[in-house]
Amino acid sequence: MSAPDEIITSDHTQLASHFFGELLDSVIMDVASECHRIARLGLDRNLDDEEEELRLSAEARARIADPSNSEANSKYVVDIFGQTHPAVAAEIFDCMNCGRSIVAGRFAPHLEKCMGKGRKARVKATRSSTAAAAHNR
Amino acid sequence: MKIESQVLKKLLTLNGEKERLKELLRERLNECGWKDEMKSFTRKKGRNNVTVDDLVHLITPKGRAAVPDSVKAELLQRIRSFLHSTAL
Repeated sequence: MSAPDEIITSDHTQLASHFFGELLDSVIMDVASECHRIARLGLDRNLDDEEEELRLSAEARARIADPSNSEANSKYVVDIFGQTHPAVAAEIFDCMNCGRSIVAGRFAPHLEKCMGKGRKARVKATRSSTAAAAHNR
Repeated sequence: MKIESQVLKKLLTLNGEKERLKELLRERLNECGWKDEMKSFTRKKGRNNVTVDDLVHLITPKGRAAVPDSVKAELLQRIRSFLHSTAL
């Protein structure tokens, strides 16, 4: 006499669930072993640093993307090394062309005049020389 | 039921199906990030003098609950087909 199908199915379901539970426990045991090994050997120290790094990058990106931050605090934005930079570069050094002390942030405009590259500088010289030449005639 | 479950376990072990099923389960749990979840969970709990037993007790409830339904269904289906095919 064979059992009706419903009983067989429910037995099967129970058996299957029970067996699945054992499989899962076995996998959990393996994972626990692995984590234990990693913890005891300190192999996860790098991961902690990496996680921290990822977190900080995400935070920085969020701060940049946030519109309420950009105008008001642009002077105080911090770069990846934790430094802030003023809007105009403040370092002072000597121009290699004329020898004057120049503020780094104003160096390009200075060079334009200093090396005669800009339009205005050369035009001025021409005008005064032609004016002088005209005067002398 | 106890005897039947032991018989099932023996059968599946002998024909290699248990190992295949375990491998399948491991693969699915990796794919869905379950293993990573468990690993980062244990890291958060610190590493001072933990034993394997500690970790097993730590992971088991969370691990059992976190298995995706689809993974569980797939494994159960395979086990049930085996049961059906061997007329247990």
